[in-house]
Amino acid sequence: MKKMRNTIIYVLAIAATLILGIDIYRIAGLPEEQAQGAIFKIIFFHVPLAIAGFACASVAFVSSILFLVKKDFKYDALAVSVTEVGLAFLAGNLITGSIWARIIWGIWWTWDVRLTSALVCWILYASYMMIRHAVEEPTQRARLAAVVSIFAFIDVPIVYFSIRLFRTQHPAPVFFSSTGSFPPDWSFIVFCNLMALFMLGAIFTMIRLRQEETQRELDSLRRLAHAF
Amino acid sequence: MHHFSPILLAQAVSPEDIVAEMARLQRNYEFLSYGLIVAWLVLVVYVLMMVGRERRLRREIASLKAMLEERQRK
Repeated sequence: MKKMRNTIIYVLAIAATLILGIDIYRIAGLPEEQAQGAIFKIIFFHVPLAIAGFACASVAFVSSILFLVKKDFKYDALAVSVTEVGLAFLAGNLITGSIWARIIWGIWWTWDVRLTSALVCWILYASYMMIRHAVEEPTQRARLAAVVSIFAFIDVPIVYFSIRLFRTQHPAPVFFSSTGSFPPDWSFIVFCNLMALFMLGAIFTMIRLRQEETQRELDSLRRLAHAF
Repeated sequence: MHHFSPILLAQAVSPEDIVAEMARLQRNYEFLSYGLIVAWLVLVVYVLMMVGRERRLRREIASLKAMLEERQRK
C-alpha cells in the first residue's frame, strides 16, 4: 500500500512537471494581449490556482460533513490535509491577482466584492488551521474543525458568484460564461495548467495524509509513554 | 512581437513617447515575472514546510520509541 502510494506520487509529480514545463513554453510563445500586454499571461496561473483552491475547499467541505456523520477520523485527516493545500493555492491566487492589479488598475488591492470575499475565504481557512492548533483533545478538535470548515465553505459560492451578481472592479468571468471571449487554444493551456495543479494538489494531499497518520502514531506513543 | 502599433507610428511620435512605451512594456514583463515567481515560491515554501514537518515527526517518533524501549528494559 505504502509502495503503491509512493509510486502514484512519483508518477503524478513527473506528469505535473512535464505538463507545466510544456505549458510555460507554450505561454512564452503566445502573442501579447491587445489591451493589457504581457501581464495578461498571468491569467494562465491566476485562474487555475483559484479553481484548484476552491476544489480543495469543496473536498474539505464534503469530508467535514462525512466526519460529523460517520465519526471516522480518516475524513478529518483528509479535511485538514486538503484545506492546507487549498490555502497554499489560494495564497498564490491572491498574490498573482494583486500583482496583476498593480499593472492594470494601478493599485495593489481594492475592497471590491470579489477580492474581499476571496481574502475572507483565505482568512476563514487559515482560522480553521489555527483552531486545530489551539484545541488539544483530538475528538473535540476534529468536531470543532469540521463545523468551522462547513461554515467557511459558505464563502466559496459568494466568491464565485460575486462577479456575476455585483458590479466589481474585478473583470467579468471569461470562463464558464456566455460573455467570455477567451480563444479555445488559450483555454486549453489554462485547462492543462489546472490539471497539473490538481496533480500537485493530489501529491501534497497524499503526503499530508501520511503525515497525519504519523501524527496519530506519535500521539498513541505519547499516551503509551505517559501510561508507563 | 508587437511593440508599437501602426497608428502610433503613423502619427508623429516623439522620442519621449517611445521611451515611455518601452518603459511600460518593460514594467509589464517585470511584473509578469514577479507574479510567476511568487506563485511558484508559495508552493515551494509549502513543500519545504511539509519536509520540515516530516523530519520533526520522524525525529519525535524515533526518540519516543527509544525512550519506551529503554523503559521496558528497566
